[in-house]
Amino acid sequence: MGTEVRSLEIPGLCGQGLYFAVDGFRLVYLVIAAFMWGVSGIFSLEYMAHYGKRKRYYLFFWVTFLATAGVFLSADFMTTFIFFEIMSFTSYVWVAFDEKEESLRAAETYLAVAVIGGMVMLMGLFLLYDLCQSLAFGRVAEVAEEILAGGGVSQKGAGAACALGSPRRQLYVAGGLLLFGFGAKAGCFPLHIWLPKAHPVAPAPASALLSGILTKAGVFGIIVVSCGMFRQDPAWGLGMALLGLTTMFVGALLALFSVNLKRTLACSSVSQIGFIVTGIGMGGLLRAAGEDGGLAVRGALLHMVNHSLFKLVLFLCAAAVFMNLHQLGLNEIRGFGRKKPFLMFCFMMGALGIGGVPLWSGYVSKTLLHESIVEYASVAACPAFWHGAEWVFLISGGMTVAYMAKLFFALFVERHPARQAEFDAMSGRYMRIPSGLALASAAILLPLLGMTAHGSMDPLADMGQAFFGQAGQGHKIAYFSAANLKGSLISLAIGLLLYVAVVRGLLMGREDGGRRHGLPGAGTGEPGLCYLDRWPSWLDLEQLLYRPLLLVVLPGIGGAVCGFLDRFLVPAAVTVFLSVSAVLCRAMDQMADFVVRAARRTTHSQIPWVADSRRQKTASEGFFPAIIRRVRTKRDELGKRLLGMEEALQRNGRLVEESFSFGLMLFAVGLCLTLGYLLMVFVRQ
Amino acid sequence: MDVMEGNVGLLFPVVLPVAAGVSVLLHKGFWRNRGRLMAMVLGTLLLEAGLVFLALSGGGSLLLWQLTKEVPLVLAVDGVSRLFALLTAAVWLLVGIYSVSYMKHEREEHRFFGFYLIVLGVLIGLDFSANLVTMYIFYELMTLTSLPLVLHERTKEAVAAGLKYLFYSVAGAFLALFGIFFLLEACGSQVFTPGGVTVGAPGQEGLLLAAVFCILAGFGAKAGMFPLHGWLPTAHPVAPAPASAVLSGVITKSGVLAVLRVVYYVVGPQILRGTWVQHVWILLTLVTVFMGSMLAYKEPVLKKRLAYSTVSQVSYVLFGLSMLQPQAFVGALAHVVFHSLIKNALFLCAGGIIVATGSTRVAQMRGLGEKMPLLLGCYTVASLALVGIPPMSGFVSKWYLSLGALASGTGTWAWMGPVVLLVSALLTAGYLLPLTIQGFFPGAEAGKEENGEKIPEGLTGQTGKIRISAWMMVPVFVLALGALWFGCFPGALIAMLEKIASGVL
Repeated sequence: MGTEVRSLEIPGLCGQGLYFAVDGFRLVYLVIAAFMWGVSGIFSLEYMAHYGKRKRYYLFFWVTFLATAGVFLSADFMTTFIFFEIMSFTSYVWVAFDEKEESLRAAETYLAVAVIGGMVMLMGLFLLYDLCQSLAFGRVAEVAEEILAGGGVSQKGAGAACALGSPRRQLYVAGGLLLFGFGAKAGCFPLHIWLPKAHPVAPAPASALLSGILTKAGVFGIIVVSCGMFRQDPAWGLGMALLGLTTMFVGALLALFSVNLKRTLACSSVSQIGFIVTGIGMGGLLRAAGEDGGLAVRGALLHMVNHSLFKLVLFLCAAAVFMNLHQLGLNEIRGFGRKKPFLMFCFMMGALGIGGVPLWSGYVSKTLLHESIVEYASVAACPAFWHGAEWVFLISGGMTVAYMAKLFFALFVERHPARQAEFDAMSGRYMRIPSGLALASAAILLPLLGMTAHGSMDPLADMGQAFFGQAGQGHKIAYFSAANLKGSLISLAIGLLLYVAVVRGLLMGREDGGRRHGLPGAGTGEPGLCYLDRWPSWLDLEQLLYRPLLLVVLPGIGGAVCGFLDRFLVPAAVTVFLSVSAVLCRAMDQMADFVVRAARRTTHSQIPWVADSRRQKTASEGFFPAIIRRVRTKRDELGKRLLGMEEALQRNGRLVEESFSFGLMLFAVGLCLTLGYLLMVFVRQ
Repeated sequence: MDVMEGNVGLLFPVVLPVAAGVSVLLHKGFWRNRGRLMAMVLGTLLLEAGLVFLALSGGGSLLLWQLTKEVPLVLAVDGVSRLFALLTAAVWLLVGIYSVSYMKHEREEHRFFGFYLIVLGVLIGLDFSANLVTMYIFYELMTLTSLPLVLHERTKEAVAAGLKYLFYSVAGAFLALFGIFFLLEACGSQVFTPGGVTVGAPGQEGLLLAAVFCILAGFGAKAGMFPLHGWLPTAHPVAPAPASAVLSGVITKSGVLAVLRVVYYVVGPQILRGTWVQHVWILLTLVTVFMGSMLAYKEPVLKKRLAYSTVSQVSYVLFGLSMLQPQAFVGALAHVVFHSLIKNALFLCAGGIIVATGSTRVAQMRGLGEKMPLLLGCYTVASLALVGIPPMSGFVSKWYLSLGALASGTGTWAWMGPVVLLVSALLTAGYLLPLTIQGFFPGAEAGKEENGEKIPEGLTGQTGKIRISAWMMVPVFVLALGALWFGCFPGALIAMLEKIASGVL
């Protein structure tokens, strides 16, 4: 049913060509995307009515839809990547939309994560293409299987020119890089930082989409990598399961501590993505252990679908709050939901769904995921570890219940200390009818799906599971059996316990906290309980690690090195070259001087007045008369004067000429004498 | 001695702009009439485009002069000259159209346009050169004739920058000249032959490599390759925007052309493969790629930032060439085209912003998106293309460059290269996108104090749109469209480049 694949190729476009396919899973997600965009679009009409620059919002709203559809329909990594990047950049506009300072800062984080994720992913694609000579999902999976099975060089020449030495290593590196890129968008720990920042500041209908479906585009990529390339790889499956468990726990913890409605929902998204990733990892582990991974895969798939719908409903409820109050802090908005039964109904559907309460859809997917962990624990080499994992799962589920309860009680049960009457007066006109209908249409789906699990959710899973590399039907599971209900009930119990103990006990306090958080009524009304932000403010990965690293350390070091290279290296080289050659040239220049000086100290030392001659030479006197006169009159002073002259003369290049000419003269004189002597001897004979 | 043999059609596109330029310079009085001057310049540029096209379709070669018995000056046409000549003519035409409006704000237009035309002729000659000596002559001519474009403003900085440009170029050229003299001995003929003509210099392999390295470093000066890149960030900001655009977009590429001719058409890639020359060359290009991006990231003045960006981006091309691998070669040549379009678009945008608002620093341009949405839109498209975001063109070249590098079998460089390219792309996003972001999302806090530091108000205080002349807007738009178009439909270009690559590798 629905597993037939239809594909579309547009060769040549964007260099490598675009390849699309439609199968069951893609069809499901295309329908969900269209539904979500439709509902948010209708809601936006009211939500955005008071904003300027609406045209910009709607333009990028729908372009992002097309890009997201492109991601879900893609049949090769290149196509995925192209639409993924378009999606990242167009959805940037949502986050930065209202141009407030925190929005711009969140948008900066969002863009940085998107661009860095994109670049890392691209590196993965390079390595993968180098390995497979293709990026089609099917072909990549084949080559990967071959490499992982053979462990050596693949036969089809693919591994011949492998850039990283061993194809196996290259495959893992490529897979890791792709996981980084897709995981950044999906919100996996430790790259979840953009979600809690970006969701609260974006317009709420856009947050619903960011959380509900854009993160799923990342998950789509993770599925392709995990269930395509590393279908049966135990190491990869273990890695994914650990990643999923960490993400689900960290996200839930952050959500529990949050005191802002949309931020809580955003952190909750991180946590729920963790559930999905865990399912994907468990599927791989089960397959690697020779079991049927059906439970895990179907759980992951259904939880994806569920989470999209939960977040649509919950964020639109948040939108309804924000439209009226323009605030999101729990202390400011509490009591808003009182006497608004419609809003309460919708919010409750979402909350019960995401909390995994039986009869709502979240229960089904969480049960499947839970069962898959239990099943693997029974076959794994280290069952104790997996029992631990089961408890992490249950506690995370409990925290989900706790933070949803926190939101629910804040919105619908507690009273606002000062503005309660004002809130109650809004009851009739807080939302227009089209928006209400859109919201209701999404909210009603959750119990409907949950109550007809075998009729609606099983076929959905049947349609989609082929995409996860899961062929058979798997064994049917009785969702409402005692064993399965038990897991859910444990989670619920933990949740209520956490709510009472942690939220009411630890996270709520007296007046002073309220004043600190700018609660309007805190100073005037009776000192009431209010929500405190107990999360240590320094414990923020982005502030603690990423921003300093990316904005200070790397540019600092890189900039300093490059600045040195740019500004000082060439001048330094030139200076060194000039000084070295100057010294050398001076040495060569004075080589002749050296000969002269040496000569004067040795052979010519007895005629020191030579040096003096140039200075005393005048136009009227000839050379020899001057010498004679000097010798006669100032014989005694000559020695001293010469010492002073010598240094001045050394600097003077003409000394060389003169010395040589003097030498030449002496030579000529000597020659004459010799000739005269020879003549004399000759005459005597 | 045979003179003027072969297809005389090759000579016309070289002579026409030079003649036109000289006439503009000599008859100042006649060309003082602005309308007349503009009509003549644009007419020449259009005619030139036609002549280049005719010459390219005619093909063949033309013997200009027999310098000595062994050294003829020859023009000829092959795939590479086709690519470069078409690119040069097209970009020159677009920038010429832009200058019609831009240069109104500058003094002594006729001098600018005179040299602008002469350089075009010289560049076409460079593209058509069929042997090393011919190329070297046109190369030196190009340096000398493009110098007045840098000097144009005649301020103290402009003169200093012009001299720096001259010294770097001449130093580079003389470094190369040594290599050319050696190759003249080693290769006998220096006619450009795909795949190289060196039959080897028995007993002198070491010297041959040293000579090639000198040529690489020397011609690399024009392409802005470390360590002789220093002139780019000095010369570009002081020149008028159209001059910066062509300097950065086209003239740096003539350094690439010279390197390409020497390595792939004279020496032959197989001689360099695996030698120290290749390794050092790769290292230098990668250092340049990273350094240029990093310094651009730290640079507050827009035009200077773009100049550093050019340093980085042209070395993408050289990196591709240094891999000695067909795919990387294709990527390199594709990047020549893409970077040329993109960087021209960016510089012309910068010029438009400077003319319209007087701002030169990025921080002053906050809120630009509301004043000049179309211009900033074009800037954004070009920026994304330079970063390499699909479906813009920069992505295609990056793809081929990286795959080529991975398949090149150069050991560590094979994966290190793509990593550096991607880090540089990240920095590229970091230095280009803030203008877009602050332009379209100025935020409410502009002009307020923050931590004792005033956030620049930029243009947010003004109201209404700023219009710039269509003469300036249309070329920018066409260039940005080109950057997008080639990203979506690179097929024909890539096929042409692959044909060239199959000849030389």
